[in-house]
Amino acid sequence: MKFKYLFFLIPLLFSSCIEIIDDLTLNADGSGTLKFTVNLSSSKIKVNSILALDSLDGQRVPKLSEIEAKIGQFKSLLLQQDGISNVKTEFNAVDLIVKLSVDFKSLNQLQEGIQASLNAMNLNKKVTKEDVQWMSWEAGTLKRTMPEIFQQELKRYENNDISLLKGGSYACISRLPGQILKTSNNNCKINPSKTAAMLRINTFDLKNEPSILEHTLSTSP
Amino acid sequence: MPQKFILALLGLFNVGFSFGQGPEHHIPEQAVTVFSINNQKVLSNISLNELISYDFMDEIHQELFDRSTENKTLEDAGMDFNKRLNVFYGKTNYYELSGFTFGISNQQNLFQALDDFEAVPSPYPGIQLYRSFFNHLLIDKNNALLIRVEPLEDYVNQLTDSTWYSRGNLPPFYNEEEDPDNPDYNPIPQENNEINEKNYYELRDSLQYTLNQEYLTIILKDLYVSNNNLFRKDSNFRDLLTHEAAGVFFMDNSRNIDRAKNLWYLKTFLPTLYLDVQDLYEGNIITGDLLLLDQQIQFNLKAHYGDALGSIYTSLNDAKFDKNISNYIKKNQAAYFTYNVNLRNAYEKAFEVIVPILSKTKDPEVSYDLLMVKLANALINKDALFDAAKGSMFITFGGIEKVKTKRIEFFYDEVTFEYGEREAEAEEDMPIFTIGFSTKRQDIPEMVLEHLSQVTSKFQKQGDLWVYNKAIFEAAPLYLLNKKDLFILTNDSVLAKQYPDGYGKDRLSKKTLKGLKNSGSMAGYADLQALVNKFPKEFLSGSNQALIESLRSKSGTMHMHSGKTSKNSTEVQLTYDYTESLNSGKYLLDLINTLYLLNK
Repeated sequence: MKFKYLFFLIPLLFSSCIEIIDDLTLNADGSGTLKFTVNLSSSKIKVNSILALDSLDGQRVPKLSEIEAKIGQFKSLLLQQDGISNVKTEFNAVDLIVKLSVDFKSLNQLQEGIQASLNAMNLNKKVTKEDVQWMSWEAGTLKRTMPEIFQQELKRYENNDISLLKGGSYACISRLPGQILKTSNNNCKINPSKTAAMLRINTFDLKNEPSILEHTLSTSP
Repeated sequence: MPQKFILALLGLFNVGFSFGQGPEHHIPEQAVTVFSINNQKVLSNISLNELISYDFMDEIHQELFDRSTENKTLEDAGMDFNKRLNVFYGKTNYYELSGFTFGISNQQNLFQALDDFEAVPSPYPGIQLYRSFFNHLLIDKNNALLIRVEPLEDYVNQLTDSTWYSRGNLPPFYNEEEDPDNPDYNPIPQENNEINEKNYYELRDSLQYTLNQEYLTIILKDLYVSNNNLFRKDSNFRDLLTHEAAGVFFMDNSRNIDRAKNLWYLKTFLPTLYLDVQDLYEGNIITGDLLLLDQQIQFNLKAHYGDALGSIYTSLNDAKFDKNISNYIKKNQAAYFTYNVNLRNAYEKAFEVIVPILSKTKDPEVSYDLLMVKLANALINKDALFDAAKGSMFITFGGIEKVKTKRIEFFYDEVTFEYGEREAEAEEDMPIFTIGFSTKRQDIPEMVLEHLSQVTSKFQKQGDLWVYNKAIFEAAPLYLLNKKDLFILTNDSVLAKQYPDGYGKDRLSKKTLKGLKNSGSMAGYADLQALVNKFPKEFLSGSNQALIESLRSKSGTMHMHSGKTSKNSTEVQLTYDYTESLNSGKYLLDLINTLYLLNK
């Protein structure tokens, strides 16, 4: 209960110029590594001015040290989940960049582990399976979108500063064990060796149409 | 017989004096701040819903009004427009009280609007008592008091902690099973099934309720049994209510607990000395008249004080306006404020007044501190000190500008989609502020800056200009100008780089400058459109956010200047000019709301 206000951070992210890198590497057996980076350095003044307040819009604003402690707690909790190993976190409090790197045995275990860890942190909102189900790997096909938890917040913020949203981006990178035969999204770039794909969308377009980040990548057996 | 007659007459007079008159006689003496509104001039065209939308009604209205108030004017709600509406607020070390008093023309109509109130037995003879949640309504004939009393949260927490630990409990936030050092640590929270004993929060709620009842009883007994009220107690307040104004404002600064907090150490450990220092504030009362004019509202404020404090203020305000300041204020500046005092005079006078008070105490610590003060006074070069900080200053707000900052950018290899980090230029919105101080000793700030530049590379000298890189939130630079007998700090790169010697022909007009010179110690100006509507609330603390929100969508200009300071009072005039042909009463309430937020 003490840290329920941490969910306050999600709207904060989308009222700033935010850069997200969602970098997934999959092995043939379905295991892999997820590297997730959130970069708020373009809105340092805005975010730091908010963090300097006690409260905003009636909600308590967490201190940087509390955020850092919570990231540490999330790391510990995630390490205790089945099929999860080698969890690393990094928090650059000066430039406001958070990095998470985690190895997993399967995408399902990764997403269930994230859900269980967030719920164990006693945040004021219960995280459902749908909130964190943003990737699946089945029969050589990877399906990706943006986590529902972010989509909801994007929809809520109708009057955000357009230039801030246009300056932000969500980069979805997928590194796969086989050759990529086709993709469902024409905006998705595929590398020359056809083993990796990247789809990068600005947050303004994402706010208007979250589905533009959805894509599938079909690989050779 | 004649004696009995006189006593009877006095008794009648006493009762009449207490209750037989208007609603202002029902304001508790514990009230520190009061806005008294002339209903005929202000409220006749205001609906109930409009009135309760103000922050000054917020303390009590939330459980008070519901749909029963829709489309109702105050008159429909049984309010008597021939009597004043008095909104009050007070705070002691233990509780806050707020509420309002008003006249009733039709009690039946009143209870159609306030339909959540239920009658409860009244322990006060002749007074009807009603309750709704935390609010209490007391009716004496045709006058009503609506009051809410709440114990201070800090005090309730303090008492709860004390009771909780004295019962041998562990800290309420500690959970053995959540301790990561505990080998049985389970991150999934467990329910507390202990139902036979109050938990921490239940204990706190009980204490809060008990204190609430206790403080309410103290206030109401004082008001309706001992016949004490603010009107009876304070002659300044009585005098204020005779003014021909749309509204009047009263604040007893000698009982202003937030100011008194600064003296808590003296009060706790050196009560005798506290009383002596408190004497300085005796009679420190602030009163004001709110006048409705043609598309203008004037607020004439007067601070009253005793001779001792008055002598310090008179010395403080014995200063000439530093005309160099006007070079750095643009003629179309969104908002500015100037403060012009004579610190040297004020210091000498404060030394003369306060040292004898401190000398009376036999406390060794105060005596030692006093010795240090006397030594400093004897040894420090006061000419240098007060030439360095003369006392005049100015602040300007220049709107919101894009400022250059640095950010971390991720760059991608288009073949492998690997990525790396690099520093890049960025631009962010920032409110532009400038603050400047008069000084005759430019060598002193220069010496400090030279030293700092040797200690950290963040301080750099660029020609005449000093730059403190990444000074603001590790992102934006702060510029320091040490020119024209002024030491200026600003985040305005245009001022710092293009107008380091001032705005020249674009500076304040001669007419405005003349006005500033003729003002007393303070003067200010704000274009509400430019100031309030552009100011990002993220840069403000909670109470200031509410203040800005209260002024949103307003247009017009505000001027403020202080008048002459005498040994017993200082006058300040605030003028609000507006162009829209809206209800002037509404504008007045807007202004009252702003003042309420400023004083809360």
